Amino acid sequence: MNAWIRMKNTLSHRYEGIFLILPWIVGFLLFVSFPLVYSLFMSFHSVRITGTGITNTFVGLKYYHSILFEDGSALYDSLLPFLRQVLFMIPIIVIFSFMIAIMLNQRFWGRSFFRAVFFLPVIFSSGNVIDRFLSQGRGQLGFLEQFSLSTAIAQYLPASWATPILSVLNSFVLILWYSGVQILLFLAGRQTISASVYEAARIDGANPWEMFWKITLPGMMPFVLLNTIYTVVDLFTFPGNPILAAVNPTQYGPTSALIWIYFLIILFFLGVVFLLFAKASRSTAQTR
Amino acid sequence: MGKVINALRNKPIRPMLMGTGERIRLILFGKEADKGLLFRLFLYVILIETAYLYLNPILYMVTTMVKGLQDLLDPSVNWIPRSLYWGHLSKAWTLLRYPVSFSVSFGLSIVASLFQLVACAMAGYAFARVAFPFKRFWFACLIFTFVIPPQVTVLPLILMYREVGWVDTYYPMIVPALFGHGLKGALYVIIYRQFFSILPKELEEAAKIDGASLYRVFFKVMLPIATPAIVVVFLFSFVWNWNDSYYPMMFLFKMQDVPLSIALTKATADLSTEEGQLFAKSLDMAKSFLAVMPPLILYLFSQRWFVEGVERTGLVE
Repeated sequence: MNAWIRMKNTLSHRYEGIFLILPWIVGFLLFVSFPLVYSLFMSFHSVRITGTGITNTFVGLKYYHSILFEDGSALYDSLLPFLRQVLFMIPIIVIFSFMIAIMLNQRFWGRSFFRAVFFLPVIFSSGNVIDRFLSQGRGQLGFLEQFSLSTAIAQYLPASWATPILSVLNSFVLILWYSGVQILLFLAGRQTISASVYEAARIDGANPWEMFWKITLPGMMPFVLLNTIYTVVDLFTFPGNPILAAVNPTQYGPTSALIWIYFLIILFFLGVVFLLFAKASRSTAQTR
Repeated sequence: MGKVINALRNKPIRPMLMGTGERIRLILFGKEADKGLLFRLFLYVILIETAYLYLNPILYMVTTMVKGLQDLLDPSVNWIPRSLYWGHLSKAWTLLRYPVSFSVSFGLSIVASLFQLVACAMAGYAFARVAFPFKRFWFACLIFTFVIPPQVTVLPLILMYREVGWVDTYYPMIVPALFGHGLKGALYVIIYRQFFSILPKELEEAAKIDGASLYRVFFKVMLPIATPAIVVVFLFSFVWNWNDSYYPMMFLFKMQDVPLSIALTKATADLSTEEGQLFAKSLDMAKSFLAVMPPLILYLFSQRWFVEGVERTGLVE
């Protein structure tokens, strides 16, 4: 009896926090996992919405087959150029925001002004307003035309790669606008490396260059990973992304199949990112 | 031999005996690389350049929207208009039905962000400090939620909301937030988790010894000291909910009173007349100005705490 009470006590003590997490779990089941499974289900069915209800007829892999092998225009013509572009944009965004965050972490005159400015893109680049700016040519770099860089690139590279590079360069300002959150994440991450480590390294005679490679970079690795994931996720939900424009409530079945193919591509991208980072962190662990 | 060279290298530099070249080198490069003039110059060039890129659209927006007919026709007027013309703003005001769409946007964003603020804090705290069954599994689910694009789940959600009669209401934007989901909810949970997991454990232990329950500890001790994280989450959540046009577009089909983000795309200028074409750009900028101003003002006021909060969410020492 006594033991039972004790067990009950430890149990209730152990799991008393369950009510803190319960709303989130319920929300997850309702708003994430159920729709996810349902959308997978729909991608194998022909969904018809009538006045009385929804009828599903099983069509198997038909939609996947037609998207992948028959009518590939949605996937290949619009998604592949976009993917090539993304391949360039991810490293640019991550490296640029890393650089800016390291700079903003220095002590210099006017620092708080610059820090305040660097949040601005988050405000105007997450909504429809950005389309207005882009349509008025606010996203381009002037020097591309001045130095006729575009023609040089078009000349020396095969067209399948020159086009994405050019579109990246043409929207370079846009890329920088999309680095707002990443800069903030890096700034927050930089604070996790304590000043005493740098102090110790300085006493041991390390120069700033060495300190950057031996302390700052390894210490920031988790945040580089986080930012890369964030950037991948963010870019794949980019406005003007060709696939997302196809998602509208008219054809539930085919669209679900398309978005699932797209989702798998994203997961593949993220998997590659994770693998790269696992490798990188293992190699740095060995050298240490 | 090596020892001698080392000793020579480590010889302290006596400033009085330094040559001019040495002194210039010291000014340019500094004792440490990040203190020198050259580095400073480089830093400022890069930062000012980027800050300009970030401020440019805002400046452009403000100057373009006050350009009248004269200034638009005059090719010598590039940035600064000769006279201020407020016609575009008042036209954009009526086109957007500003009072209505502003209140809809404001109400939605403030409610959703307040819900996310509390609900995500609870989940984040649980993930950071509380034991519950299958914690690792649920954490994997959290990461998974973070990477799912909203487009994957939006079609089933439309069907689901249609079943419960929530289409063309504001519930789809608000109710998920109440559960700690909604727009980018997973990111906020991760931010909170990060913040709570680095707070010292002694705080909770002291409160627990005094006999406080877990919920008391959370709401009376942990949440009040989480202000930096709260500011960051609230601002992100408010701005993103304000700007979001995807969910409202999907869930509000026939609604008359739409948020600003939707009104912005719906209200198009009249391009049939010559004057309309000429004014299109300025009108567009005036509409953008009206749409972007409220979060901008909010940021200007909360900016100090926000920047501080960003730093403190990752604080160790």
